[in-house]
Amino acid sequence: MRALRAAFSRALEAALVLLLLASLVFFALRLLPGDPARLVLGDQASPAELAAVRARLHTDEPLVAQYARFLSGLGTLDLGDSLRRPGVPALRRVATALGPTARLAALAVGLGSAFGVAMAALAFGPWLGARRRWVERGLVALAAAPLIAFAPLLTFALAVKTRLVPLPGDPEAGTLGLVFASALLAVPLAAHVGRTGHASLVELGQGQFLVVAAAKGAGPGRVLFLHALPAASGPILAVIATQLGALLGGAVVLERLFERWGLGTLILEAYASRDLPVLEGAVVAAGALFVVVQSAAAFLHALLDPRARS
Amino acid sequence: MRRVLRLVPLGLVVALAATVTLLAPSAPDRIEPLFAWSSPSAARLLGAGEGGVDLLSVVSHAELRGIVLALAVAIAGFVVGTPLGAFAALTRGRTERLIERGCDLIQAFPTFLLALAVLSAVRVPSRLHLGLVFALTAWAPFARLALVQTRVLRDAAFVEAAYALGVTRPRVLVRHVIPNLLGVVAVQLGSAGASIVVAEAAFAFVGLGPRDGVSLGAVLDQGVAAMLRAPHVLIVGALAVFVTSSSMLVAGRAIEGRVR
Repeated sequence: MRALRAAFSRALEAALVLLLLASLVFFALRLLPGDPARLVLGDQASPAELAAVRARLHTDEPLVAQYARFLSGLGTLDLGDSLRRPGVPALRRVATALGPTARLAALAVGLGSAFGVAMAALAFGPWLGARRRWVERGLVALAAAPLIAFAPLLTFALAVKTRLVPLPGDPEAGTLGLVFASALLAVPLAAHVGRTGHASLVELGQGQFLVVAAAKGAGPGRVLFLHALPAASGPILAVIATQLGALLGGAVVLERLFERWGLGTLILEAYASRDLPVLEGAVVAAGALFVVVQSAAAFLHALLDPRARS
Repeated sequence: MRRVLRLVPLGLVVALAATVTLLAPSAPDRIEPLFAWSSPSAARLLGAGEGGVDLLSVVSHAELRGIVLALAVAIAGFVVGTPLGAFAALTRGRTERLIERGCDLIQAFPTFLLALAVLSAVRVPSRLHLGLVFALTAWAPFARLALVQTRVLRDAAFVEAAYALGVTRPRVLVRHVIPNLLGVVAVQLGSAGASIVVAEAAFAFVGLGPRDGVSLGAVLDQGVAAMLRAPHVLIVGALAVFVTSSSMLVAGRAIEGRVR
């Protein structure tokens, strides 16, 4: 019963985040000064053209009616046609962009958590001896390195100068290009996971259950991976959840850097051309992606750590 | 002493950038097509970018403006967040839980999307617009820290004594709790500032920056476009972002030392 209530409150929160994002886009475009039709057409548009665009965007209706139409459009997955490509539903364009970004983000979350947990284990376990401090310092340095600074540099060094990896924006880049792009995106996440993971492992280090496991004859690897890491999964998954927003922002930057097709490219294109239905749809879709991964992290936590289930 | 040393990198960056903007008269948007993409030389120490703009001048101006923006937003977040968090913890109960959840929600929110959503209302976002959008979420980490710290302070003997003497809650908040919080919460200023410098560069990089192109992100954008012809632009832009953000992080740790 409690698990059901927890799941319900999580779903409610996810819906709240989405509604908040959707409403923000909606009201920012309609309440702040500036007529959307004029933003779309520019200053030289004739009154007749302006009226036509207003009618298509329904901005000539009362605000409440517009908001109701927008929300029911989100519910029925129909936000109207794209302004720039008449006849193409806005959400169809969003759907084609969702896949590449979801693949990029999912792989980055996977790589980042795996690498981060490995670093935390190395910094905690007995294998490196005194050199464990180096891993810790490396993680601090990595966490401070901004993606926007090192991603273009690494791309220049690895993909352009030495051609060790293909450019991820290249349609023929294939899997290796995707892995390269997600690895770049995974670096800040890995650093944060590593630092948090190490801190919570150190805190657990005094725990009696680890001493008991070692006394029963478990080697350091078994103690670490079977007993300590699952207990440390809470803070690790929590830090992944808080880094997701930044990860999504990083995905937009990388898509722009590589000119790779995805939600970020679509959002920026729709923003530049003031394609309001596409912009609204794409922002909500990116928010949905964020919410889904965050809920997955919470679910995984409950799966790994029995304490989180009650 | 070592604490003060941590302010040196930020001071150096600001001093260098200020000297260049004051002494070298070349404006950051002055175009000299003859020198477009030219490599670093004695006349242009960092080389030239698109249209022959002097990169040294662009980077200095952009760094100064970025640092001013970051400091303004971080301090605004500090000034709003600290009393809010302290107030929440003092009232206990439902208000406390509500504000705590609100902080969690905002800290995990996809800030980039939020900013895009709000910025879509203006045609060309200026640095002021960006600052306002950043300020929407900047208060949350400060409020969170203040809340956690006040939970410790609210049971301290001097707070109870103040209540027993008949001091009202607002007065306890202002006179007894907040002065004890300032040091601990101010630690967050450095990392908040650094993340705003990086975010500003990221927005300019994807094309949502000030129109005059005086931003570290705009330099990076030029550098990516001309990666093969003029790699120095990319290297200069990336290093400038790195140096600015890490000098802010280090400066933030100067406050940390004082607390302990």
